[in-house]
Amino acid sequence: MKFLLFTLLSTLVVVFLNSVAPYWVVMIAVTVLAALIRPSNWGGFLGGGLGMGVAWLGQTLYISAVTSSTLPDKMGAIMGLGSGLSLMVLTAVLGFILGGCSGLLGVLFRNLVQKKPTDVYLG
Amino acid sequence: MKYLSFISTLIITCALGVLVALPFGQIPPIAPLLDPNHGFWQNSFSEDQLAEESLDLENLNASVEVVYDEQLIPHIYAENELDLYRAQGYITAKHRLWQMEFQTRAAAGRLAELVGPMALELDRMTRRKGLAYGAELGIAYLQKEDPATLALVEAYSDGVNQYINQLTDARLPVEYKILNYKPEAWSAYKSLLLLKYMSDMLVGDRDLEYSNLKKILGKANLDRLYPDFPSDNDPVIEKERVWDFQSLYPAKPDSLTYPEETLQLEALAQPTEGTGSNNWAVSGKKTKNGHPILANDPHLSLNLPSLWYSMQLSTPQHTVKGATLPGALGVISGFNEYIAWGVTNATKDTRDWYKITFQDASRKAYKYGEEWKNSEFRIEEIKVKGEEVFLDTVVYTHYGPVVYDKSFKSDRQDVNFALRWIVHQGTSNEQKTFLQMNKATNHAGYTEALKDYAAPAQNFVFASKTGDIAMRIQGKFPLKWKEQGKFFMDGADPRMEWQGYIPFEHNANTLNPERGFVSSANQHPVDSTYPYYTFDHSFEHYRNRRLNSKLTAMDQITVEDMKALQYDSYNLQAAESLPVLLNLLAGYGASSKEAQKYIADLKGWDYFADPAKKGQTLYSIWFAETAESVWRELMDQGAPVVRPNNYQTIALMRDTPEDAVFDVHMAAGIQTAQYHVQVGFDSLLVAMKKWEAEEGDYGWADYKKTTIQHLVPTFKAFSVQDVYTGGGVGILNATGSRHGASWRMVVELGPTMKAFGIYPGGQSGNPGSRFYDNFIPIWAKGDYVDFGLKKKEDQKGVLFKTILN
Repeated sequence: MKFLLFTLLSTLVVVFLNSVAPYWVVMIAVTVLAALIRPSNWGGFLGGGLGMGVAWLGQTLYISAVTSSTLPDKMGAIMGLGSGLSLMVLTAVLGFILGGCSGLLGVLFRNLVQKKPTDVYLG
Repeated sequence: MKYLSFISTLIITCALGVLVALPFGQIPPIAPLLDPNHGFWQNSFSEDQLAEESLDLENLNASVEVVYDEQLIPHIYAENELDLYRAQGYITAKHRLWQMEFQTRAAAGRLAELVGPMALELDRMTRRKGLAYGAELGIAYLQKEDPATLALVEAYSDGVNQYINQLTDARLPVEYKILNYKPEAWSAYKSLLLLKYMSDMLVGDRDLEYSNLKKILGKANLDRLYPDFPSDNDPVIEKERVWDFQSLYPAKPDSLTYPEETLQLEALAQPTEGTGSNNWAVSGKKTKNGHPILANDPHLSLNLPSLWYSMQLSTPQHTVKGATLPGALGVISGFNEYIAWGVTNATKDTRDWYKITFQDASRKAYKYGEEWKNSEFRIEEIKVKGEEVFLDTVVYTHYGPVVYDKSFKSDRQDVNFALRWIVHQGTSNEQKTFLQMNKATNHAGYTEALKDYAAPAQNFVFASKTGDIAMRIQGKFPLKWKEQGKFFMDGADPRMEWQGYIPFEHNANTLNPERGFVSSANQHPVDSTYPYYTFDHSFEHYRNRRLNSKLTAMDQITVEDMKALQYDSYNLQAAESLPVLLNLLAGYGASSKEAQKYIADLKGWDYFADPAKKGQTLYSIWFAETAESVWRELMDQGAPVVRPNNYQTIALMRDTPEDAVFDVHMAAGIQTAQYHVQVGFDSLLVAMKKWEAEEGDYGWADYKKTTIQHLVPTFKAFSVQDVYTGGGVGILNATGSRHGASWRMVVELGPTMKAFGIYPGGQSGNPGSRFYDNFIPIWAKGDYVDFGLKKKEDQKGVLFKTILN
């Protein structure tokens, strides 16, 4: 549950925050979000990665669809990557790595500061 | 364990976050580039998708309305001129910021700052030519003499800067993102520098080559092979023009001595062949509707973003439309409600070299007559990306900067040459000319506007609604004795000085000539009766004669006729020389099947350089190879020289095929023109064999491969390659592989102005926009878009509107 919640929320954070803030602010936000929600270590990495990766991929797809611009292909050629499609993949992978590391960092930070919950009624 | 994993993840994440923001060699920072919200993806939007209803522009007296037509041509309606030019700066920057900045950086010799040491030599050359120095003098002149113009230039600059300050990462032009730098503030100085840069692009000199040629060939042969006037001169100003003024033509001093050594310097970069232009105006008596028609097509390097940006600029007092230069105020080639005007380059030798004799190695003083004059030092500080600042000391004499010296482009330690060039005189005001021309309403206003224009010299064509047509060759031309400045001069001899300037009233011009038209195509400005010395190496010999013969023959002319004439692809040089070549070939090589095929192509050709024509391809290779063979020995003398032009080469082959110039000293026997024609034909066979094997079809467009190149040539995907279009050098449609009609305009000056224009590019400078290159297919076919004046209320064909306030 926490993993799904975290993935969904980090996607939303990227979509809304990234439109006004650079990528590194978004990374910090994903870190904070992970620390608040506290999914598992893997959940933090995968959730943050998917959140940012999917959001970035979705945005490139959206931009390509509404503009029909040839720019991604031109950029792909200039960067020696062939087509715009490879840039789309590259953008998604970069988003995944940045988001994933941020998510994991948030979880590890939370683990660090939070003591084992010994005095909680566990039922 | 917890600490260890946290700290290592922290380090990895932070390192990653920083690494993706750093450039690696030529690779730009990857995250800012790929971030879909701020990186290059955002440059995929076209301007109409980002349309804003209103935008903030401070310092306006009243709000300004900008209406874009379907081609993204902005029509700016302002209440006064200060607002108008502030808005022009703002809107131009919005669509062309990177280009204006890049071009002025090139003009300032600041490319190494962006691309590193590979541009250092180019930057040094630019600076040593003194373009920036000229622009500094220009600003000082405006401050002192013309604060009114300066105020407008500063308003424009403020408009550009307000745009830069509002710019978000998302809207930053993609070239900045790839090259990883940011725009810097614009200034009035940069606008002036841009106009100086035009001089650099359009003005050349061949003093070095002619000095060498005089030594190699002797004066008599030089005059024979490189005559000042061709035998059938068809000048800009009609031959019938009578020069009814008292000339100030100075007499040539006796017993002058010129610097004698053969010079091994590297020649200064020259305007490339194919840089030129056509313009003309026909009077109402030759047109179908009885109104004058004016046409202009400047030929320049074909680049993206295009050098030109079209606009309409309106205040309640005036409305003008046409092609602007991003970075400069007003319209450069265009029309208003009363007049139309256009420009072609008026080549005339206005750049001269003086040999400087320094007193000693310190170079603090140089010989001038009997005395020693003090020189000045200008330190050029050139920033180089990834390296230390490069300091270049340039010595300035009263003639101008010493371009070549011991530290630059010279193997010889004792060579010091100063460059004298109008660009270094601080008394010109080209910007004022265009501002006044935009508002001129008649011939008197046009003439008045040109008084401040010095360089680069242009043939200004003119037509008015009241029926006048005119041409004026305007520039500030040095007063020279015969052959002054054709060769390197001795700077120590005061008699070698320019003798002043040709008075404005004496500059060649004509108004309503009897023949019913005025025209220019970079040919000789005048015939030999003009009472001043006129010389340049690069005069045109074909386009002008084709143009004038067509205009003479035409009657009942329509706008469509004028459009067709701009697109005319008749190759007059081929028509005059191919029969000569075929005659001299005399059946040589006819046994080969290929040769027979090519000869048949050539014989069946109608001399039109249309895209599919094979004859044009074969002729262009054959003639080039033949001329190359004729002049090979001359060119191989080990010193920079120039060949006699094609016109003279053809005249020699036709009239005196056994002339001694055709003899090859290295070969046995005596060679004639026939030998070279046959050598040229052999080369043609070799070249075609290779071409057909590798490329196949040899139709003209497939062969010449017209390319409209992005200003950064390595950004190939931003260029448009292999445009299917005809034309070529020496042809009215002068579109070669990299040069050609950079702007075409036809205006009929009736009760309402009818105007059509096109240029090979698009209104947007953004390679991601649909307006980046949308004009190219229209241009390639010889079509136009409607360029009529629009009123603020006109609702037809509006893409979107923006209010600036």
